[in-house]
Amino acid sequence: MSTFRTPLKRALVLGSAKHGVHHFLVQRLTAIALVLLGLWFVWFALRLPGLDYAAARALLAEPVNALLMLLFVVAVFWHAQLGLQVVVEDYVHTSGWQLVLQVAIRFLCVLGGAACVLAILRIALGR
Amino acid sequence: MSEFTLPKNSKITEGKHFPAKAGATDVRTFRVYRWTPDDDRNPRMDSYDVDLSTCGPMVLDALIKIKNEVDSTVTFRRSCREGICGSCAMNIDGTNTLACTKPISECSGSDVKLYPLPHMPVVKDLVPDLTHFYAQLTSIKPWLRTESPPPPDRERLQSKEDRARLDGLYECILCACCSAGCPSYWWNADRYLGPAILLQAYRWIVDSRDEATGERLDFLEDPFKLYRCHTIMNCTRTCPKGLNPAKAIAATKKLLVERRS
Amino acid sequence: MASYKIQEHKMDIVVVGAGGAGLRATVGLAETGLETACISKVFPTRSHTVAAQGGISAALGNMGEDDWRFHFYDTVKGSDWLGDQDAIEYMCKHAPEAVIELEHYGVPFSRTDSGHIYQRPFGGMTTHYGKGTAQRTCAAADRTGHAMLHTLYQQSLKHDARFFIEYFAIDLVFDDEGTCRGVLALDLNEGTLHLFRAHGVVLATGGYGRTYFSATSAHTCTGDGGGLALRAGLALQDMEFVQFHPTGIYGAGCLITEGVRGEGGFLTNSAGERFMERYAPNAKDLASRDVVSRAMTIEIREGRGVGEHKDHILLNLQHLGAEVLHERLPGISESARIFAGVDVTRQPIPVLPTAHYNMGGIPSNIHGEVVQKRDGNSESVVPGLFAVGEAACVSVHGGNRLGSNSLLDLVVFGRAVAQRCAATIKPRQPHKDLPATICDKALDAFDRVRHAKGGTPTAELRLTMQRTMQADAAVFRTEKTLQEGCAKMNQIFASFDDVHVSDRSLVWNSDLVETLELQNLLYNAVATINSAEQRHESRGAHAREDYPERDDENWLKHTLVKVDAKGKCTFDFRPVRLATLTQDVKSVPLAKRVY
Repeated sequence: MSTFRTPLKRALVLGSAKHGVHHFLVQRLTAIALVLLGLWFVWFALRLPGLDYAAARALLAEPVNALLMLLFVVAVFWHAQLGLQVVVEDYVHTSGWQLVLQVAIRFLCVLGGAACVLAILRIALGR
Repeated sequence: MSEFTLPKNSKITEGKHFPAKAGATDVRTFRVYRWTPDDDRNPRMDSYDVDLSTCGPMVLDALIKIKNEVDSTVTFRRSCREGICGSCAMNIDGTNTLACTKPISECSGSDVKLYPLPHMPVVKDLVPDLTHFYAQLTSIKPWLRTESPPPPDRERLQSKEDRARLDGLYECILCACCSAGCPSYWWNADRYLGPAILLQAYRWIVDSRDEATGERLDFLEDPFKLYRCHTIMNCTRTCPKGLNPAKAIAATKKLLVERRS
Repeated sequence: MASYKIQEHKMDIVVVGAGGAGLRATVGLAETGLETACISKVFPTRSHTVAAQGGISAALGNMGEDDWRFHFYDTVKGSDWLGDQDAIEYMCKHAPEAVIELEHYGVPFSRTDSGHIYQRPFGGMTTHYGKGTAQRTCAAADRTGHAMLHTLYQQSLKHDARFFIEYFAIDLVFDDEGTCRGVLALDLNEGTLHLFRAHGVVLATGGYGRTYFSATSAHTCTGDGGGLALRAGLALQDMEFVQFHPTGIYGAGCLITEGVRGEGGFLTNSAGERFMERYAPNAKDLASRDVVSRAMTIEIREGRGVGEHKDHILLNLQHLGAEVLHERLPGISESARIFAGVDVTRQPIPVLPTAHYNMGGIPSNIHGEVVQKRDGNSESVVPGLFAVGEAACVSVHGGNRLGSNSLLDLVVFGRAVAQRCAATIKPRQPHKDLPATICDKALDAFDRVRHAKGGTPTAELRLTMQRTMQADAAVFRTEKTLQEGCAKMNQIFASFDDVHVSDRSLVWNSDLVETLELQNLLYNAVATINSAEQRHESRGAHAREDYPERDDENWLKHTLVKVDAKGKCTFDFRPVRLATLTQDVKSVPLAKRVY
């Protein structure tokens, strides 16, 4: 450890990053969005069991549903990325692992999100 | 990456038992964490049977009785014995609090367990090393910062309402019970300021006389210094002075949002 | 010969103690650019100033007419004319600027509607030389000491003062010419010894309340400065004057501020009578502390105490209403609940006079310089040594201190000592070479205590001392009990040779520190009880039943007491300075003290 540093040096570490509000705000905004979109998603999901594949596709292809579904998956992956980032920051203290996990979380969330968006667009646009 | 067991030297062993004097009527056992850097031995829990009929009502009274009458090597900090100096903060019966204001009768277990404040380096027995905690206090520049000179021959004026905003903040005694009870501080004390210091920071942010509000907020706007607070609320629950650091932290976050919108 | 490695630190000034006085001095010294070290046995905000509640007096006149001359008169009268009037003038005149400076530092004082510092009435504080009631005590709710101490610590951080925290001062270091050259201290955390070389040593070590069994003082109030001075062969002044605070919580001894009575609280006996009306028809419950404590003691003695054993008095504040209690007295509401199980909005607090403050201490002048009587000159300065705060005796409190004058004493003289050092000591001057053996005596004594293996544990000896002082040097004193007490105390002092220390480690050895503290307490206790025995009059807090009157003809003088290594006391005297410092105020002529 950094035994030869003064206590103040250790307390100041690298100084202030002067950011964090954005993260805080977006995490809360996506959370609020997820509450509202989640209600819609529950309603949507409850209708699916009674439908066959084509009917389900048609339901999702309706402009309102496609739009809300797009927003829902974006919010889910965005929120998940922010949350997982904090979990890793909290508990992973090995810098190598920290880097690997943070990169992986971002890549996977973007990948997951983009895949969902693409799928929804294909259904909505009928291709 | 992760360790799932304690390192060998931090496993606590069973220590000595000191029975009460014959004829004691109202006996309660105090189990006290003991460790000294002088030898290579592991920490141990010594048990002291205390006759409560000849002991004051508070946990500190029992500790002093133990030190005076049974084992003078038991080491702990104490000073004012009335809950204002913050010296005797320790983990009693599973909660961080001041030994001098914690009644023995309010300890739930059959034995009263006394540990030093958790997640702080131990100097000896119940004495934690608070150097880092104090350095973090220094890091927030906890003094009145102004550009405008004060009036030459009188006090700065402050309205009663502005002064009332300091209530619940300036009373902090720096005992560190809250910070040592915060899981976020346990995992990230090197970078997270912890509830006590954030309360102090907010005390200066809302002081109507202070002119460094912006700089103070700039300093706190950091994923670690401030935003490691996950509203766990242990700080507020454990504060022996009944203060609410969690509320001060929430208010700081609110101000940071406010100044952007 | 004990061998210890000593680490040497070369500073301009060393302040011993980090309470109100020590920190105010440290801040002032750091501001001037002198290289200052402040050593303290506890973290600064844990010093006992933190427990001061009621406030700090200064004639600001925020809450009605006031003048520092009224404050001067009240303080002289409060001191029962034993206070030196030049020093009292200095303190009262500089009080407003010292308090305003505190506000500028950031102390969160309570406020008036106009935004000024809130001031409350306090015992013995009057306007127009005793005619009206003054609102002179500047308050931060009932946590003024806490607010002040934290602010002073914050200021010292601002000025980068150097702290040596949890260092215990073992002995002062003097050269052959009697100049103080530094202080030897023990670092509790590492168990190492440090010699702080300095051109000035400021003792700001506080009082010795723990010589008594029941005291409002913290466990750490052990008169270390007095002990250091006495062991260095210096005389202490007016040690017989020990203030008993009327309202310590019955049983626990915790302080309930006089501010409670300032805000309208009052005392009652078992008949529910407001008995202070009989003892002090004008000031009633706001008479000075010695008067109230004596009245309470008489009430209890005459069978009008309350409770199962009729051994205490009730302090009523229920009538003030929850709102006032919450705004102005939140801290004592909490203390009463925790330590007396009382809800102050509905029940009175059980209280008892409790040892609280030591008017006596290390004699010093208005610059904080320690003075001794040498060759007939009672103002001979000890070079290199300063004392401020409760450890010192300037003497502004004389025979009895007025409430809220102690916080004032701390900041006025803490400030004065910094100014004096700035004026007389140049930064970074070379230090005089000292013989290598200069610490040997202190080290031998330290080593003896460290390895003490006698038959009496520290705690046992301390308890005997405390019980003796409580029984024989309390509110009322008589020849018989004092002589018995002196004999007992001398014996207890001697039995320190038989003390036993169990903890042999050097890291955070609180057993050792408590023993060193006990040694200091013993010096102070012996000085106190012997001084009390030889003063054949009643003055201020020193109430002799066999000499019930003040005797200005024979006793208008300060007691000087030296204690040798065997605990034997020798006495000398110093005249009380009745003349004022300037023509700004007239000396208060001797008069009978009636409230």
